Amino acid sequence: MENFTNEIIDTTQLPRFEEVEFSVLHSNYWKVTLINAFFFFLILAVGLGALLFFNQGLLVFLMEILVIYSVLLIAVLLLSRIGFKKKGFAFRTHDVLYRYGIIATNTIVIPYNRVQHVALHEGFVSRFFGLAKIEVFTAGGSSSDIQIPGIEMEQAENIKQLLMGKIQKEL
Amino acid sequence: MEDGFKQPQRQSSIGVLLMFVNTLQQWGRALWPIALVYVFKIDELNKAYLFTGITFFLIVIGIIAYLKYLNFTFYLDDENKEFVINEGILNKTKTIIQLNKIQQVNINQSLIQRFIGVYELDVDTAGSSKKEGRIKAISHPSALSLKASLLENEKVEADSEKLEMALRSETAEERPFMEISFLSLLKVGITSNYVKSLGLIVAFVATVFENSKNFINQYDFDDEKIDAYLDKTRIIQSVAIIAFLLISAILIINLIRVVFRYFDYKITRQNGSLLLSFGLMSTKSTIIKPEKVQIVTITRNFFQKKMNILELKIKQATSGEKEERKSVIEIPGCNETESVEILKLLFLKAPEKGIMLKPNYRKLVFSIFLSIVLPLTAYFTFAKYIEPRFWDYAYLAPLYVFFVGSIVFFGFKNNRLFINDDFIIKQSGAWDVDNMIIEPGKIQAITTSQLFWHKSADIGSITIHTAGGNIAFQLGDYSKIKQYVNLWLFELETSNSNWM
Repeated sequence: MENFTNEIIDTTQLPRFEEVEFSVLHSNYWKVTLINAFFFFLILAVGLGALLFFNQGLLVFLMEILVIYSVLLIAVLLLSRIGFKKKGFAFRTHDVLYRYGIIATNTIVIPYNRVQHVALHEGFVSRFFGLAKIEVFTAGGSSSDIQIPGIEMEQAENIKQLLMGKIQKEL
Repeated sequence: MEDGFKQPQRQSSIGVLLMFVNTLQQWGRALWPIALVYVFKIDELNKAYLFTGITFFLIVIGIIAYLKYLNFTFYLDDENKEFVINEGILNKTKTIIQLNKIQQVNINQSLIQRFIGVYELDVDTAGSSKKEGRIKAISHPSALSLKASLLENEKVEADSEKLEMALRSETAEERPFMEISFLSLLKVGITSNYVKSLGLIVAFVATVFENSKNFINQYDFDDEKIDAYLDKTRIIQSVAIIAFLLISAILIINLIRVVFRYFDYKITRQNGSLLLSFGLMSTKSTIIKPEKVQIVTITRNFFQKKMNILELKIKQATSGEKEERKSVIEIPGCNETESVEILKLLFLKAPEKGIMLKPNYRKLVFSIFLSIVLPLTAYFTFAKYIEPRFWDYAYLAPLYVFFVGSIVFFGFKNNRLFINDDFIIKQSGAWDVDNMIIEPGKIQAITTSQLFWHKSADIGSITIHTAGGNIAFQLGDYSKIKQYVNLWLFELETSNSNWM
């Protein structure tokens, strides 16, 4: 108790979360996104093709359908590219930060001592590229959970280990 | 099972059967429309094809079920004190739960599980409503021993809690600490929930009208006679009468509802907790533990301010049943001093509003655009190009602008975020003004957000996540918001404050 001090905190000197250098997602994750989009549009195209084949009357709208399809394709590719570029994560000593968003830049911060549990998720396509998604859960419901995709499996395991270690220490 | 679940292991092998039934259920749910088509065409179909199809389908499901079973493993990592579940065939998920975060382990048995003779084990941690870990097929002895090893760390804590409970019951205080008088309830009744009651009345009148129309039709009423009866001078009169009746009906319904619900509202103090009991026909009682309180909302409108009453809504974090989680505890009709007393019990001191953050004027402009400019433009375009008869109602437009405009304006004027060392208070609402109070220690996570065209204006939004819900404040001074986020993070990370 003798060593107890209670200094005034200079709030301007606190570490700033907004100046943190974010690590970007692995470049292979962009390929994963592209492949997933490709499959989605392939299935869509097959579906549309089947629809037109069995419903020849719709062929008059072929032009419109093609235009809508390509606009959708371009929009999805563009937005995923922006989304991919914007996504970033950072692990500080006491908290994890995740940045995302397309028109808005959102940054979510979870202190390690509020983490409830962690999950590693490997998608089918991601696994071919050796990538995984880390999911960090808090007690604040789904809006305060974060999912960081596009992390190398080995690194993801390390991060998980780090998180679990931190959670334990905080208690 | 003597190894204490240290090696990754699968579920009971009979669990394949359960997986099979579950997968069949899932697929069946997704494919039933197709199945239905075939049922209707059953006579036209080649039976041989049908049976090969069904067999093939069942075999595929069988294989999937088996793969699901093979890929589902769980184990206790003793070194790291964590419980790990691996699942998924193509998409793999590994869930890692720290042992000391586990709140509850439930062992259940559904009908199918009873047939097969296995049990389900659910692992639940605090906060979020869904079950974090679920093992679907496990034998009873291993379920019990797994539960025991999962909760090993918990034991010490549970024992101490029991002790605390025992202490608590000894020093229970019988005298109510606060009672809400009948007069206060009357005040609450005539000043709140207008919109809710109006909705009730509209629904009621609509059904009555619908039914009576059928009835009247039988007696052949002459529409013209009714029209003649309703001549101009009477219309004003009857509108006034209807308005008067409507208002009195709303007030009466409100009064009855409030009195029924909250009659004899008593708050008793019981060691640190608050015990509430209320109700006319059946007495409900709830308990509030101050350390579990996440968000307290104080609501009052203009009339209630004049009558010196306010309403408190309290959200707790619980790890109990689902309904309990959703519930908001309401304390209606306490006066200023009483509410301060309650808040002191919940927060140890009365919350004070500190530094004020205002939203940028753009928020007002945006709300006006969204709720006035957009609907009116749509209305006038519609009237001009599609349905000219809509012009007949154009005189309602200024009324709409005035009404919605005042709601938007007061909503903007009341939208504030107050911050001091111990509390964050968000004020909002146009008529019923809410003050949501949280303690920085209860924060689970913080999201800050900025649109790219707001960068130069230095405005942005913040969402504070707690176990009792979120608090969001839009378009405030972003530098200040960021500064406070840094401060809160610092406070959260340097102390081990207990959030529940």
